[in-house]
Amino acid sequence: MMGLLLFYFAAAVTVAGAVGVVVLPNPLYSVLSLIASFLGLAGLYLSLNAEFIAVVQVVVYAGAIMVLFLFVVMLLDMRREERIPLRLPVQKFAGAILGVGIFTILVKVFSSDVLLTGAKGTFTAERVSEMGNTQVIGRLLLTDYLLPLQAMGVLLFVGVIGAVVLAKRRTG
Amino acid sequence: MAPLEHYLIVSALLFSIGVVGVVVRRNAIVVVMSIELMLNAGNLAFVTFARFLDSMDGQLVVFFVMGVAAAEAAVGLAILILVYRNRETTDVDELKLLRL
Repeated sequence: MMGLLLFYFAAAVTVAGAVGVVVLPNPLYSVLSLIASFLGLAGLYLSLNAEFIAVVQVVVYAGAIMVLFLFVVMLLDMRREERIPLRLPVQKFAGAILGVGIFTILVKVFSSDVLLTGAKGTFTAERVSEMGNTQVIGRLLLTDYLLPLQAMGVLLFVGVIGAVVLAKRRTG
Repeated sequence: MAPLEHYLIVSALLFSIGVVGVVVRRNAIVVVMSIELMLNAGNLAFVTFARFLDSMDGQLVVFFVMGVAAAEAAVGLAILILVYRNRETTDVDELKLLRL
């Protein structure tokens, strides 16, 4: 019962935040709305017993990536965009039709009967909570997923260098 | 923990809202944010199936997706800043030199 309530509350916050990103004209409000959506997503991850992912969501996504967006929004002068109307009404209508269409297709796929056909793994909720979610993820990262971990290290390294080189102001 | 379909419907909602955001909004930063929204919709689906299939693979994939999204957001925003420095606008309707 409490789990179900947590799900509905977190899902409501997530979807409301997502709608806010698309609807609000001021880009600063969009960023704040996305932060709220990510916090709702963290609640959803918690209800799925994914504690490590929930915390990483808050710390990395809401705490770092969104702060980066905030910096960029406040660095660039966005005030002009508010006075220009979003789009022609017919374009907004077409966008809404596209969204509804994609949602219908996805829901049709998700309500089919053959969803959980994969072989079940060995990490039941009880076994994971007994070992600790973070411990299990750490162990798997350093054994089965070692290569992707190293690749992601290289990717982040390249990303940092790229961002610094791109945004540096050229002198002379 | 709600039934499987509830989580998947939330994921589908987030994804379609992200698609509408990419298509409708003119501000390039809001477009990048809508892309992040779509990535998170995929993350939610991964974690949901990881829970319902008693697997940890989904959660590890989400870990890597978040890392990739961070790198992509950083580089994408750096490019956006450069574009703004050159053209004084972030309106995607104005940034059309590569269009047919």
